[in-house]
Amino acid sequence: MAQTMDPNNMPILSEASVSVEIETEDMTLNIGPQHPSTHGVLRLVAKINGEKISSVEPVLGYMHRGYEKLAEVRTYPQVTTLVNRIDWVSGFANEIPFIAGAEKLMEIEVPERAQYIRLILTEMARISSHFVFNGAFPLEIGALTPIFLAMEDRERVLDLLESVTGGRFHPNFNRIGGVKPAAGAGPTTKKDIQDLPAGFYHDTKVAMQKVLEAVDRFEDLIGGNEVFQIRTKNVGVLPKEVAEEYGVSGPILRASGVEFDLRKQSNYLPYDKFDFEIPIGENGDCFDRWSVRTSEMRESAKIILQAIDDMPSGPIQAKVPKVIKVPKGQTYVRAENPKGEMGYYIISEGGLGPYRLKIRTASFSNISILPIMLEGALLPDLIAIMGSLDFVLGDVDR
Amino acid sequence: MNQSDQNEFVNSIQSKFQNSSVEFDTLKIEVDSHSWVDTHKTLKAEFNLKFFNWLSAVDWDNDVKIGDAPKEPVTPSFEIISCLSTTNSDDLVISSTKISKEDPQIDSLVEVFGGANWHEREAYEMFGINFLNHPNLKKLYLPDAYEGNPLLKSFELISREVKPWPGDVDVEGMPEDNIVVSEEGS
Repeated sequence: MAQTMDPNNMPILSEASVSVEIETEDMTLNIGPQHPSTHGVLRLVAKINGEKISSVEPVLGYMHRGYEKLAEVRTYPQVTTLVNRIDWVSGFANEIPFIAGAEKLMEIEVPERAQYIRLILTEMARISSHFVFNGAFPLEIGALTPIFLAMEDRERVLDLLESVTGGRFHPNFNRIGGVKPAAGAGPTTKKDIQDLPAGFYHDTKVAMQKVLEAVDRFEDLIGGNEVFQIRTKNVGVLPKEVAEEYGVSGPILRASGVEFDLRKQSNYLPYDKFDFEIPIGENGDCFDRWSVRTSEMRESAKIILQAIDDMPSGPIQAKVPKVIKVPKGQTYVRAENPKGEMGYYIISEGGLGPYRLKIRTASFSNISILPIMLEGALLPDLIAIMGSLDFVLGDVDR
Repeated sequence: MNQSDQNEFVNSIQSKFQNSSVEFDTLKIEVDSHSWVDTHKTLKAEFNLKFFNWLSAVDWDNDVKIGDAPKEPVTPSFEIISCLSTTNSDDLVISSTKISKEDPQIDSLVEVFGGANWHEREAYEMFGINFLNHPNLKKLYLPDAYEGNPLLKSFELISREVKPWPGDVDVEGMPEDNIVVSEEGS
């Protein structure tokens, strides 16, 4: 072999490939529904031309549980159990807009302390959701270490959530008019009500310091990694006009340079009492989406530390009728969830359950841009783009 | 957000659309089904509502197979509901239109908002509403061979037929006159 390879007679490969045009046919590549990078059971039917993706069609429905129908045959307090399971990575945050909507229709004023507890636990859900992202996203594009660190750090936050609500993933903690007395609070009587478990404030302060340390470490370990930067910078750029037209919300929208966060714009929880910033990105690429979420964890920890110091006393439950009946009316209440805007359009006809409940979830709209973002992208970037959208299939299919 | 800004927005919408209401902080406009697409074009161009939030439908019917029927009789119809919002304030508008149940069809919004695509496919399979000029009107969640439209009020939940749900017992056992206001904190 070696003798025939005369360096003077070798054809120059790069020139040869330019002069030859080969007719190619698109190949159909099926990805999923069981594929680790699809965070559940998303199926993609991709048409690829060599390494280039010419079109992608997502196929949904493998996780469809019909929650909008099931909500019609349940009472309002029972729907809370359902909505926990929509975005299971941040179950607590799903309850907030539904409960707030029912309270709005019933015209119930929620005690301030209950609102603070809701706010603290929502931010904990956000931190734990972003921990999962910080572990899973680098894992999908080849960095194995962060997932071990992220899962360990997330456990501290989940322990706190569990100590209050009794559930790590499905807290089912909100009640119309307030919150449930905490799991670790001991027996509750009418006179002496304990709402948070002993040592909660101290444990939270310690855990939030750990979160702040973890964010610094992630920014160093993941963001400072050259391979990670090459895989994510200028990959999957999403212009803000496209994002708005498709209803893309949350950290993805903010990474595209839109400073929109319902925690600042809306008043569903008393976020205006705290000092925090909205991290936004510049380019709208995968790196910015990672960076926005990671910075958000720092802001969430700051909010929780302020709320712990500023915790008001008082009741945790407003006066509500024993049988919850929501008067006739329609309202849309939305909240800034870890994945983006989540809202419930409640149509009440005065019955024990909603006549119709439209559930607007963040991931559904967020992945509806996949066909646009992936068109013309390289196949290895598909995993990076999908990972950076941070969707949960329960949130897509409902 | 500033309260006066919100009122200014509500006033500008209400001066443009006659059939509007604010109920529980939710601004809702009702339009004719023929001007459905034009309404969204106007809202996008004149009111800066560029963020396509969601679209869905409601089946208004007195004959409800499962769940609570409306307390007051309603005219059977489909109500199409869409939600548009902005990305610099809390402003949002719920648009609604009613179409007949005999021939449920309406113009698609995909040419105005690309994001309407999946939402309309969902409404198509769940209610059987035909969106005219939709580029790819096929089922989104359900298998192709699936028959029926699950979110119709005439659609029964088979599992409930086979085995009544135990949660019903708690609710139905409670007489109407037993409603009491509980003690604070209980």
